[in-house]
Order: sequence, then C-alpha cells, then structure tokens
Amino acid sequence: MLCKPNRFTWHLLGWALLSATLALVGALLKRESLASGGLRWVVALLPVLPMVGYFLSLTRWVRSLDEMQRLIQFEALLIQFAITALSVMGYGVLAETGAVPNPPVGDLWPGIWLLLFLSWSLGQAIVRRRYR
Amino acid sequence: MTNRLRVLRAERAWSQAELASRLAVSRQTVNAIETGKYDPSLPLAFAISELFGQPIEAIFSPNGDPRA
Repeated sequence: MLCKPNRFTWHLLGWALLSATLALVGALLKRESLASGGLRWVVALLPVLPMVGYFLSLTRWVRSLDEMQRLIQFEALLIQFAITALSVMGYGVLAETGAVPNPPVGDLWPGIWLLLFLSWSLGQAIVRRRYR
Repeated sequence: MTNRLRVLRAERAWSQAELASRLAVSRQTVNAIETGKYDPSLPLAFAISELFGQPIEAIFSPNGDPRA
C-alpha cells in the first residue's frame, strides 16, 4: 500500500535529490580534475551532508507516526536490515572467491542504496498485510 | 483480546476516519484495533476509554465479549 505524499515525503525527496546532485557535481569535478588536495575531500564528502538532513527528516517522520505505524516501520526496517545484510555479506563472500566481480566500494553504493529502499518497501508491504 | 470499539463507534455514527482523528491515530490503526489485529498500548486504551466515557474493562477484554 502506497502512502499519500505529505510534507515529510517532499523533505526526504529534496534531501535525496540534493545529495544526488552534489554526487554528480563531485563526479564532474573529479573527471575534469578540478578538485585537488584538501578540496578533493570536501567535494567527495559533499553528497553525504544532505543525507544527515535526510535521516533527521526520517526521524521526525517516524516520531509523527502513531504507535501501530511505528511498529510497522520497525518490523519493516528489520526485514530491510536482514535482506541488505545477507545480500551484502553473500556478495562479499562470493566476490572474495572470485565467483562474481569484485568492483570498488564506490561503484557498489548506488546499488546498496537501491537495495535498502527496495527491501524497506518490501518489508512495509509484508508487515502491512498483517494489520490490514 | 476482543473489544467493542466498532459497536461504540457505530452508536455514535462515527466513521473510522473520524474516530482516528479524535484519537490522533491513523484510520488503519483504528481498523486494526476493531478487527483485533492490533492491541493498543495502555495510553491509547485509556484515551479510547476517556473518549467513550467507559472504563477500559467495558471496552476491552482479554478473551470473550467485554461486559459493561
């Protein structure tokens, strides 16, 4: 079941888009070799800063929920944690054996974020069925 | 646990959404309580009790139908 967008949805979307934009800007600066020395660190970490806002908004959203909705989110996050942890661990072990490609961590994190959101959505769908 | 929430709500001709608004919870939460899929916390049970002007044991029962 999809939730109706509310102000928290737009806050979360805004922070995520800002982070993605800064990641793109950082990638461009890196490609053009425009950032060097200490500035390279700053540019690399820029996309992380909006994610602080993202998680603060997420916390405010969870606090705005009633007790049953919080329980649903808690159980959904447990499912998300289990799926993501097992997937990352499984892939890591397979990569160590050479069974699957072993790309740098920087190439993996977009896929891990996607897995986090997909498994969270799946978790919510599973848990909500129980209380419907 | 069983409860008389649906009956009490119907007596007042309130919709689930209206009851949810009065209790400051979601409509899904009211529905889950009415269908017995979710047991409310003690603070929420007290809020329901106060709203309907009845003691908790007249609304909720650990098993069977609660009696006023």
